[in-house]
Amino acid sequence: MIGSGLTKNILNTLLKNGADFSEIFVQKRISGILRLDDSKIDNSSSGYELGCGLRLWAGDSTFYAYVDSLQKEKLLDAAKVLSSAVNGSSSLKVMDLTSAESSYHTDIKKFPERISQDTKRDILESVDRKSRDFSPYIIQVTANLSDVTEEVYIANSNGIYSYEEKVKTFLGINAVAKKKTEVRTGYKSLAKTSGYEIFDIKSPEKVALEAAEIAVNMLDAVGAPAGELPVVIGPAFGGVIFHEACGHGLEADAVMKDASVFKGQIGKKIASDIVTAADDSTIKYLWGSYKFDGEGCPSSKTVLIKDGILTSYIYDIRTSVKLKAKQTGNGRRQSFRDVPIPRMSNTYIANGKQDKSSIIKSVNRGIYAKEFAGGQVDPATGDFVFGISEGYLIENGKISFPIKGATLIGNGLAILKKIEAVGNDLDFAPGICGKNGQAVSNEVGQPTIKVSRMTVGGTGS
Amino acid sequence: MEEPGAKMQNKKSDRVKDSKLLKICRDTAARIGRQSVDEFEIFSAGSVATEIEIFNGKVETLSFSDSIGLGIRIFKDRSIGYAYTSVLDTGSIEDCIEKAVSNSKITKKEDYNYLPREEEFKFKEKLIDDSVLFREDMLKMNTRDKIALAKELEKLTKSKDKRIVSINNVTYSDGIYETAILNSAGLCDKYRATSCFIYAAVISRQGKDTSTGDFFDYGRAASDMDLEKVAKTAASRSVSVLGGKKIKSGRVDLLLDPVVSSQLLGVISGSLTADTVQKGKSLFKGKIGKKIFSIDVDIFDDGTLPSGLVSKPFDGEGVTKGKTHVFEKGYLKTYLYNTYTARKDKTLSTGNAVRASYRSTPIVGTSNFYLKPSNTGFDELLAGIDRGFYVMDIIGLHSGVNPISGQMSVGAKGIWIEKGSLKYPVKEVTIATDILSFCRSIKKVGKDLLFLPWGGYTGSPSMVVRDIMVGGR
Repeated sequence: MIGSGLTKNILNTLLKNGADFSEIFVQKRISGILRLDDSKIDNSSSGYELGCGLRLWAGDSTFYAYVDSLQKEKLLDAAKVLSSAVNGSSSLKVMDLTSAESSYHTDIKKFPERISQDTKRDILESVDRKSRDFSPYIIQVTANLSDVTEEVYIANSNGIYSYEEKVKTFLGINAVAKKKTEVRTGYKSLAKTSGYEIFDIKSPEKVALEAAEIAVNMLDAVGAPAGELPVVIGPAFGGVIFHEACGHGLEADAVMKDASVFKGQIGKKIASDIVTAADDSTIKYLWGSYKFDGEGCPSSKTVLIKDGILTSYIYDIRTSVKLKAKQTGNGRRQSFRDVPIPRMSNTYIANGKQDKSSIIKSVNRGIYAKEFAGGQVDPATGDFVFGISEGYLIENGKISFPIKGATLIGNGLAILKKIEAVGNDLDFAPGICGKNGQAVSNEVGQPTIKVSRMTVGGTGS
Repeated sequence: MEEPGAKMQNKKSDRVKDSKLLKICRDTAARIGRQSVDEFEIFSAGSVATEIEIFNGKVETLSFSDSIGLGIRIFKDRSIGYAYTSVLDTGSIEDCIEKAVSNSKITKKEDYNYLPREEEFKFKEKLIDDSVLFREDMLKMNTRDKIALAKELEKLTKSKDKRIVSINNVTYSDGIYETAILNSAGLCDKYRATSCFIYAAVISRQGKDTSTGDFFDYGRAASDMDLEKVAKTAASRSVSVLGGKKIKSGRVDLLLDPVVSSQLLGVISGSLTADTVQKGKSLFKGKIGKKIFSIDVDIFDDGTLPSGLVSKPFDGEGVTKGKTHVFEKGYLKTYLYNTYTARKDKTLSTGNAVRASYRSTPIVGTSNFYLKPSNTGFDELLAGIDRGFYVMDIIGLHSGVNPISGQMSVGAKGIWIEKGSLKYPVKEVTIATDILSFCRSIKKVGKDLLFLPWGGYTGSPSMVVRDIMVGGR
């Protein structure tokens, strides 16, 4: 995207006043969005962005600037301004650049640019029909189909460069159902780091049906109970519990700042024996997968918890150097406008041994939380919440009434030890995670699990 | 020794100063082939921003941004297409036009799809301009002063209480923004604005318990901000919940801190846009003229509030902004409109077309949206509660509140109230209700109006809410 001569020139300009590290991140992003709302295609939008982020470190300080351009003069100019952040001189100099290696390879079959606008429109119109045909109670459908085609080139003063072409495709469907005065919503998405072949594996109509079904199933929901109860958490998006309760607290920037309850816990037992969890950016085509992270480091699988023992944090280059740990390829950023920070990729609890049915059967009175609207955590205290969007009461070992949306609240350190059962039905679901104002794509996953007691935030008692 | 980063200076972007933006808009307009379009609109935005994070007395991160881009809306045969670019060379702009034209061929034709006309503006006169929005003193501040200010905030905050173990985030950020719009119906206008923001997040410990708290301030220039207040409030929001425990589940009265009430008001505001109403996704559909609150609250959407961070002379499609009385004495008076939704409801645009950036098409959204404060002080609100929960912070708003179904359930922390006084800290509990019941349950509002500068710009004073379910033990 820019030549190696100019790359070296920029990296060395950044270093010249005594910086310890310099980096250039070049990104070209072509994006398309098509939206259907109220049975009409009401937005068709295309975007083109090209720019470069420059970074250097000196001691504990990071300095960053970006340019909406790849013009040589502008890049060198910005590098000069940024280098003036440090006063001194440097013996560091980049002589040669070597390509980084990654074991992650993809084969994109249906590039977004080859898919006609008519085909995309047909997908959304079919989604709308399918949801509405599912039930007369469906009163509204909103669906977004978006795709991104990206090229990223990263080089740093360690003499390493990487280049990656990425394609991402996303379909999100929100269905609204109404019965008398009761209104409910159902949301489902399909998102992969690949092209339009994602619809060869799962049809858009299937996603539409799932969204409509949630909305309709919840129409007769009763108020959720309030108080502590056993909670069975369904597979796939249920993994948001691990993402919030534990994952964010394992991101090494929080650990480094003493703002994580998991600081000093490596090698210690933090979860029940039956819990093993990992962050794995190498699972092909998942929404949080990549060849290289936002710092040009190859993707990898990192076991975070092995049989209940904490084995690793999640690192970017800076935190791994500072904490003298092995880099895990988790330095991610939203775009060339942002500083990379440690982020999860695809994070999941691994399969256990129990069947889902035996887990449900073991609960006398509790909650089955099947789908979720997301969650949030305060890593410094470990207090976290996540919102149920489709949930049911469990009575005498059987799933009974649907319950209205309710938040579950707990503490990360406590909750992992209360996981009493882990199922054998591991599945994944995509999501978007926000941290420090940057949104990145993640996948969460888990089999069905059971938490012995958790506070359920309903309106009933 | 010179502070690292102090010499670095964001060039006070010449292009923002000279307003190259309108020229870019005009040059772009000249390239749009009139035969292939009926109407067009070019929206361009540029910003120069600085962000500084301090940790343990040192600059942790200092970043500069200098960004510019434009978005083109093409109207053809009553259909609209959109495209944007951050690269402004001739080739990229021509590509962008071509894509917008091609996008206009796929969207649904609708009679309402044409550019706004002046007679459709509810507010005729511009009530705010650069003389209020743009502060020259912001341009004169150098990086060294900004770093010093952020360090001062860290030091001040740390000094507030012995139980504070870490200030895990101190952020200073500022920006100079320029926005220009030009359309084929003859509109051509621009404005400039400055803003800055400070934030401190505190971790405190007592025995084995850890607690967090944060606070912020903002203004159009650094001199508008009160460091002492940020330090004091952030520290107190952290230490006052130390040792918090779960309480028994049950229905109690809540006293909501403005940080909490303004977040909840923010959720409500999203359901007052005509777009959500027309699509059947608003709880307020069919409720114009109805009493929604049981007390006489007044709620405004004011796009021209002098101190409002999202104030501007015109909205995302060039319509003049003004002040809309949304709830009067508890009655719903009107929804918020852009031109498309106004045409559909046969009314005028309230100037509520919002664009997050040049990357987005205009949608209906709020401006400075706030609940009018009363004369009642916080202590008086507190004194009136026999048994209740002072909610200082909530967590999980985006996953716990569904603005379409109205369900609300969020995590909360704060202090237990007995006989009008604060007793002991509470944490790891939930509060749950639904939006319409919540509106009816508000019994008193205070005088301490606070605007939250993120996720829209919503303001509310403290409030007393009767009989809400708290989930705990």
